[in-house]
Amino acid sequence: MDILQIFVNGIVLGALYACIAVGFSLVWGVLNVINMLHGSFIILGGYLTFFAWFYLGLNPILVLPAVALLLYILGFALQYLFINKVVTAPVLTTLTLTFGLDMILYNLMTVYFTATPRRVTLDLGSIDLAGIVMPVDRLLGMGLALLLTGVLYLVMRGSTIGRAIVAVRMDRQAAALMGIRVNRIYAITFGIGALMAGAAGAVFAMVFPVTTNLTGVFLGKAFVICVIGGLGSVPGALVGGLALGVIESFAGFYLGPQHAITVGFLLMLILLVVRPTGLVGVKGYE
Amino acid sequence: MLGKSWKYTANAVGLSTVALVAAGAPGSAAAADDVLRIGAPLALTGGLADEGKKQEAVWQLWLDKVNDAGGIEVGGTTMQVEFVQYDYQTDGKRAGQLAEKLITDDEVDVLMAPFGSGHTKIVAAVAERYQVPLLACVASSVSVYDQGFQYLFGTLAPNTGMTESMTVYFKEQMPELEKVAVYGRDDVFPKAMATALANSASAAGLEVVYDQLYSVGTMDHSAAVSAIKAAEPDWVYMTGYTQDLILGRKQMEDLGVTAPIVTMVTGPAYREFTEGLGALAEGVTSSTWWHHATAYTGAIGPWSSTAAFYADFVETFEIDPDYVHGSCAAAADVLVHAVQQAGSTDNQAVRDALAETEVLTFYGSIDFGENGMNQGREMPIIQVQDEEIKVLYPAAIAGAEMKLVE
Repeated sequence: MDILQIFVNGIVLGALYACIAVGFSLVWGVLNVINMLHGSFIILGGYLTFFAWFYLGLNPILVLPAVALLLYILGFALQYLFINKVVTAPVLTTLTLTFGLDMILYNLMTVYFTATPRRVTLDLGSIDLAGIVMPVDRLLGMGLALLLTGVLYLVMRGSTIGRAIVAVRMDRQAAALMGIRVNRIYAITFGIGALMAGAAGAVFAMVFPVTTNLTGVFLGKAFVICVIGGLGSVPGALVGGLALGVIESFAGFYLGPQHAITVGFLLMLILLVVRPTGLVGVKGYE
Repeated sequence: MLGKSWKYTANAVGLSTVALVAAGAPGSAAAADDVLRIGAPLALTGGLADEGKKQEAVWQLWLDKVNDAGGIEVGGTTMQVEFVQYDYQTDGKRAGQLAEKLITDDEVDVLMAPFGSGHTKIVAAVAERYQVPLLACVASSVSVYDQGFQYLFGTLAPNTGMTESMTVYFKEQMPELEKVAVYGRDDVFPKAMATALANSASAAGLEVVYDQLYSVGTMDHSAAVSAIKAAEPDWVYMTGYTQDLILGRKQMEDLGVTAPIVTMVTGPAYREFTEGLGALAEGVTSSTWWHHATAYTGAIGPWSSTAAFYADFVETFEIDPDYVHGSCAAAADVLVHAVQQAGSTDNQAVRDALAETEVLTFYGSIDFGENGMNQGREMPIIQVQDEEIKVLYPAAIAGAEMKLVE
């Protein structure tokens, strides 16, 4: 029974992890930009959700589409106005730029929202299924995370924009020659990355305290998940997230919580050596 | 509740601007003889910004009080007091660099340490190198003070003392108490507290059924909470910073941990803990170094009693002070007292005067031991009851009976 509880804990956490990583993975895979803003985007989404709940009494699930849209606009604008200017430069340049933008966003949030942890106190209770306890808000979060990931997957597979994004990812020059406006696709992709981060923030506000202290933690998780799952693909982020959640859960129980994170990083290192594309990654995007 | 904290933030931001402008002004009263210059690297942005702003706010209150009264009398002359502070952005390395800048560029007479044992340790090494007295008001881990530093003095008492009195008190309150689960953050202060509690509990005959640390950066406590639940403890003792504790408490509730005593160090000492948890905070206990329910009178410094400090503080900030405010204001009192005893701002003389300090402040007695830590204070045990913080122990200032968590 213990094993099942640990497994369920891991799966629920893993779905939330996938939600963190999917936007990050997309931006990294398509734009070759390591988006250092990603953790702050998630927390910004969390804050917007918290304030809508605290001041307007709005349920986080209702707020989620609006938060996601706002973050999409912010992401689109940042890519269009700033990052596109250097997007073809070596990865260190874009990394430094997003790092600088992150410093600004992070500190603005700390100054105006304070680092004080805030929480949406819905406290929906737990479901006990034959001794396996599952907190309702986490289940809800898991459902939303899977839904969002699924929708993104369908958009990437079936829509014109999705195919254009994939085309740009595969060959930037060929896509440009086919009439795809590459810079616009970049901005849309970065916007979608921010949108997924904002949506993840709205989901997380129900489960975790919202504080700027967590931006680095989210970013670190996104990194590990992308390497485990593979870059640039939605299934990669999902598999990576679920794998990391389950591994951390078992490691935390059997080896002690002190070693849970270490085991995640260890797995990442092993994969980098034996399978640089990640578990389901596409060759060429390792 | 949030409204107050916003106002408080606005105050702190305002004060910080004033302070930074003052610090950045060219040729600002550089090392004038009639000015006592106190340097302070503070975490005004970054993860510890809330704590850094508490230090900044209470020092501004203290400074206004002192300078409005005309300054301080030192060796027959009147001196003004000035704070020079910089934001080290919660980056320990930067705290050390700024401490060095404060000493060499700004020529401060003494230094105040930033929040937390970890960053205090870094600044203490710099202060020691330049032989500038350093007062730490928010560092309680013995490991900071046992490095042989001669210029470091701390107003918090050793944190190990807290765990012994707490174990004894809880045994009295709940004689059937047998099993304790200890879960601590792997960081200087939270780790020291978790280790100390496990030792105190074992020494008191309790069975420690779970004793683990979690890494800095842990996002989720499901695995640990599941293991704690399986161990069926009577008492769960968790240490960490506010966001860890909020999440930990929520996950205990979600996963069905039903221990009658839940201690979270030092969660309830901060109002953001109770605000973030809402009803789940009810019954959570903690230790703290100071509570405004203490009633010291005849104290040195601008506030002759705890009540006088409390009244001024509440009038200015419209919230209750916590131990960070109390300890840091008292550190400034002690510093001025030492300068007065020394009769000058000479580093060595002030250091020697600090070493011999034995005074009563509104915060309690200050008597630095061999290692520079404040000695022998009885530290309160507090509990959240009906969204308020009640003092359970020591009996002299207790305002409520302990309740078990339902």
